[in-house]
Amino acid sequence: MRQSKGFSMERKKARWGWVFVTPSLLLFAAFSFYPIINAFYESFFNRNLLSLRPPSFVGWNNYTYLFNSREFWLSVQNTLIFAAGTFIPLVVFSLALAILIMSISRFRRFFQLAFYSPAVLSSVVAAMIWLLIFDPRGLANQGANSLFGTTGVNYNWLSTTGMLRLSTIIVYFWKYIGYFTVVFVSGIGSIPETLNEAALIDGANRLKLFWYVTLPLLKPTTMLVSIMTMIQCLKTFSTQYLFSTAGAPTRPINVITLNIYNTAIKDYRIGRATAMSILLFIVMFAFTWLQLKVSRTEEVSHM
Amino acid sequence: MNAKKTKSWSLEKTFDVLMWVLLIAACLLIVIPLIFMFTSSAMPARDILRMPYPWIPDGFHWPNFWNALRGPEGDFIFIRNVLNSLIVSGTVALFTVVFSSLAGYGLAKFKFKGRNLVFMLIMATMMIPFEAIMIPLYMVAMRMGLQDTYTGLILPFLANAFGVFLMRQYLITFPDEILDAARIDGASEPRIFSTIVLPSSGPAVATLAILAFRSQWDSLLWPLLVVQSDEMKTIPLYITKFMAETHSDEGIMMAVAVMASIPMITLFLTLSKYFVSKEGLTSATKG
Repeated sequence: MRQSKGFSMERKKARWGWVFVTPSLLLFAAFSFYPIINAFYESFFNRNLLSLRPPSFVGWNNYTYLFNSREFWLSVQNTLIFAAGTFIPLVVFSLALAILIMSISRFRRFFQLAFYSPAVLSSVVAAMIWLLIFDPRGLANQGANSLFGTTGVNYNWLSTTGMLRLSTIIVYFWKYIGYFTVVFVSGIGSIPETLNEAALIDGANRLKLFWYVTLPLLKPTTMLVSIMTMIQCLKTFSTQYLFSTAGAPTRPINVITLNIYNTAIKDYRIGRATAMSILLFIVMFAFTWLQLKVSRTEEVSHM
Repeated sequence: MNAKKTKSWSLEKTFDVLMWVLLIAACLLIVIPLIFMFTSSAMPARDILRMPYPWIPDGFHWPNFWNALRGPEGDFIFIRNVLNSLIVSGTVALFTVVFSSLAGYGLAKFKFKGRNLVFMLIMATMMIPFEAIMIPLYMVAMRMGLQDTYTGLILPFLANAFGVFLMRQYLITFPDEILDAARIDGASEPRIFSTIVLPSSGPAVATLAILAFRSQWDSLLWPLLVVQSDEMKTIPLYITKFMAETHSDEGIMMAVAVMASIPMITLFLTLSKYFVSKEGLTSATKG
């Protein structure tokens, strides 16, 4: 009797479990699983957004078109240049800033918040500010001229291929440096104080302490930050979109997401755009999977 | 021995000074664009691109803000667009919290068949970047007639895998004894959730709400796809249009930038601990 009552209570509880997860599950089904399956499907058709004719099956044509398209490879190249050019300095400098912050004993919070502050602005506002800074008469030229001891040189921040790419990298770097600094600060903060003390008693100086204790222990955090930045950089869109809308040449900053958007919305080629989405998805899936794996091992190492 | 000690002490001291100098220099470099935004929003356009830049505004140039509010067509659409952003971001934040805490609670505190599968499925959606599914979503939204509606802007973002994860992790340590005591007292499950579980998840809820609000406030790609009319534009869209059309008056531009940032800056200044919280930090993939 008692057993059956407990059993029915368990059943009742189990039902409530389902009640609680069902709303989210339905939303995920409609707005995550269905669209990604649909994207795979659409990538084999030549759907045109404006055409009334039903789309026909074209097999791998969308993919072979992309692999033979110079425009596509250019946007892959643009994305990779942007990602590599952003994530390496971001990781290096945010680690350096975090170490600087942890080496002082006062105002740690203040510096963290100050470094973090650009991340509070939305991407379009950040791009807007920097468009003015990169103006030929703007702060960027003034700063570069005084730094390199030149007078009145225009560094063409928004017009030549290399400089334009550099400019988008600077905007992104500026916006996210504080964010990753804070991640590293919490990484350093979770290193047990006893380890540092032990090393100092053993006669290590601050440099040695950093090199032989802090840095090796930060390896998981560094890995995590690297992958996180890489994922973010691969899907960069706002800066490039706003720069090109404001009149900068599009080709050097035509990153993959911008290309997807334009292919679908300006050229109406849904099939081709979704094929590109799928390729992006595969790359990012690999990185996210890596991130989940790394963050799991990091949790363990902090125990 | 004594001399050596003094020497190493002074070495430490120089080291300290060096750290401070580097930190303050980095701080200045990072904050300069923000100072530029604020100071230039108070200047007439002719001063903003003067060489060298006159860091201190010569009085407050109010017309920048007035003209930014009025808009190029004089229809005050900017205010409407700010409201749109607030409505969309606020609604998404609210519902994200509700759905995520429901699912997180269900996964953390109820044993049912298929629970692990449900959790894995939800986690798997984290690997699907929005950029990869936006075109199919756009076509769904078109078919459902959701273009140019708040529903269209809000609906795809109500389910948040990171949110479910966050709430589950937070609630997993919630003491079962309290829940069981409430059950024995005859409280229904929905009541237990809304009067006991939710009120005691403050920090996690705040972190999640801010995260959801920010990502919508910042969102450009999805609104670009679903919004067509000026009335339904959100702030990022307003700025995009503004930059494409009137690239002339820099003072108005920076006044728009300042006003578009005020809600986030206010949130940041009052709730900074939830911006820079450990829970929020592992969320970069969603940003």
